[in-house]
Amino acid sequence: MSIIEEISELLQNGKAKKVKELVRQALEEGYDPKVILNEGLLSGMMIVGGKFKNNEVFVPEVLVSARAMNAGLTILEPKLVEVSNEPIGKAVIGTVKGDLHDIGKNLVVMMLKGAGFETYDIGVDVEADTFIAKAEEVGADIICMSALLATTMAGMQECINKLQESNLRDKYIVMIGGAPVNENFAKQIGADYYTPDAVTAAEVAKSAVQGR
Amino acid sequence: MNSMERVVMALQHKEPDRVPVYPIISGASRRLIGADYKEWSTDAEVCSRALLKAREEFDLDCIVTLIDLSVECTAWGQELIYPENEAAHPDYNNSVIKDIDEYSKIKKVDYRTCERMTMHIETCEKLVKEANGEFPIIAFVFGPLGTLSMLRNQQEMYMDLYDDPDAVKEAAKEISETLKEYCRGLMATGISGIMFDTLFSSGTIMSKQMWSEMEGELVKELAQTVRDEGGLVMIHNCGERIYFDAQIKYMDPCAISFLYPPDDCRDFAECKEKYGDKVTLIGCVTPATAVIGTDEEWEEECRNNMKDMMPGGGFMLATGCEYPANAPFDKARKMVELAKTVGKYKER
Repeated sequence: MSIIEEISELLQNGKAKKVKELVRQALEEGYDPKVILNEGLLSGMMIVGGKFKNNEVFVPEVLVSARAMNAGLTILEPKLVEVSNEPIGKAVIGTVKGDLHDIGKNLVVMMLKGAGFETYDIGVDVEADTFIAKAEEVGADIICMSALLATTMAGMQECINKLQESNLRDKYIVMIGGAPVNENFAKQIGADYYTPDAVTAAEVAKSAVQGR
Repeated sequence: MNSMERVVMALQHKEPDRVPVYPIISGASRRLIGADYKEWSTDAEVCSRALLKAREEFDLDCIVTLIDLSVECTAWGQELIYPENEAAHPDYNNSVIKDIDEYSKIKKVDYRTCERMTMHIETCEKLVKEANGEFPIIAFVFGPLGTLSMLRNQQEMYMDLYDDPDAVKEAAKEISETLKEYCRGLMATGISGIMFDTLFSSGTIMSKQMWSEMEGELVKELAQTVRDEGGLVMIHNCGERIYFDAQIKYMDPCAISFLYPPDDCRDFAECKEKYGDKVTLIGCVTPATAVIGTDEEWEEECRNNMKDMMPGGGFMLATGCEYPANAPFDKARKMVELAKTVGKYKER
């Protein structure tokens, strides 16, 4: 098994320390950082994502894999900057105002990173204006909003209304997700996409930016 | 037939006069008496008055004391935030368990020293007195793993389950021992039973094996404690793909309140076929439909739930989780009306 395959496998098993060590070792051995990223870390995370979607692994397993990916990324990111690895797009993501739930949102962040997005996680309890300001600041392609409460999902509508008022609506792909929302709600508020899980969110985001 | 008789028949898997109904009106009830959320969730007099008002206003068949999921965790000193119009929640910036090494500080405590638990017991006392045996009062208790997650924060606890399952399990056991005494205190008020929230027994959270290992035996003992006190054991779990089989194995509940079909059923009809003779099914209307759905969608869901699950009894029409705290009441009223018309057994 190559060191790259080993990184992927260790990531799938949630072994953060070992992933970090092997990423460092792979760099020392002269592996291209992009190869380590794409064929080691991202490939491993995509496998975990696929298993999650198929109910073969569950939230704890995905979280420890994501933690392992992040551990590897801390070593890899400075090298990736040097070789100017281009992301496939930029996404701003957060949980809407009044809502503190973040596990689903965090899983989407991981899957977006795994799909090659530069991801800006602006946390929980995020004001509509903050989504827009951050998207403008970083030149995002996508705004992703999450809500777990029926009482907070109105924050998604507010953000879209504000985008329209500022003539910025067409500039961004708007995606929503979370337990109380659905396809109909997405249509109702004028969002571009609703996705039911983190893996689908990353797939749809990728296809949406590529289709622009 | 009064509500108590109706619910008892449903629990016996017999057909009462009509489907019993309970659109889990909890926090929303505060608006009926003009109370604010914090007052409602911390003052037994206010809370019981609001729940009784909801029962009277909408002619509900029972009361479940779902106050919020942060009642139990305060026994270990968890600080809470009380938003103006939402349920209380832990201050996640100041969790009791800040590090994986800190699980060992969770020990069994005397529930009588916990203001929120004693407030809950006091609420039950007042409700039982007013109910006078005409409708059941069911106390709502968050399970040990759920309570523990409120002391740590769920995401960290999920990873801890992977990194040091023994530490998590040991802390959950200490919590469970506390909950046993708490359940005895609740049962002493004369309530009909206890509904345990087993949040983590769900395919969207953890594997069946992990849940069984981490919480199975603990909730088994809790359920037995309630039965030993003469109470009914019920489960609430509004997760997707919940594990009916594992929860029934460990807890042997008389009823399960749920929102989505279990992991081994395609739909509610199959759930009825597979589990209808084992447990009374309570649900499963989507609460969010009360906010984002049309009247027609709400009615259709109520009708479909009854079509799939009411035949032969053993069913209570309800929302699959709490009725949104700030939603208009028209859909709750509609649900009750449908249970009284479409849900009649003798005319079917």
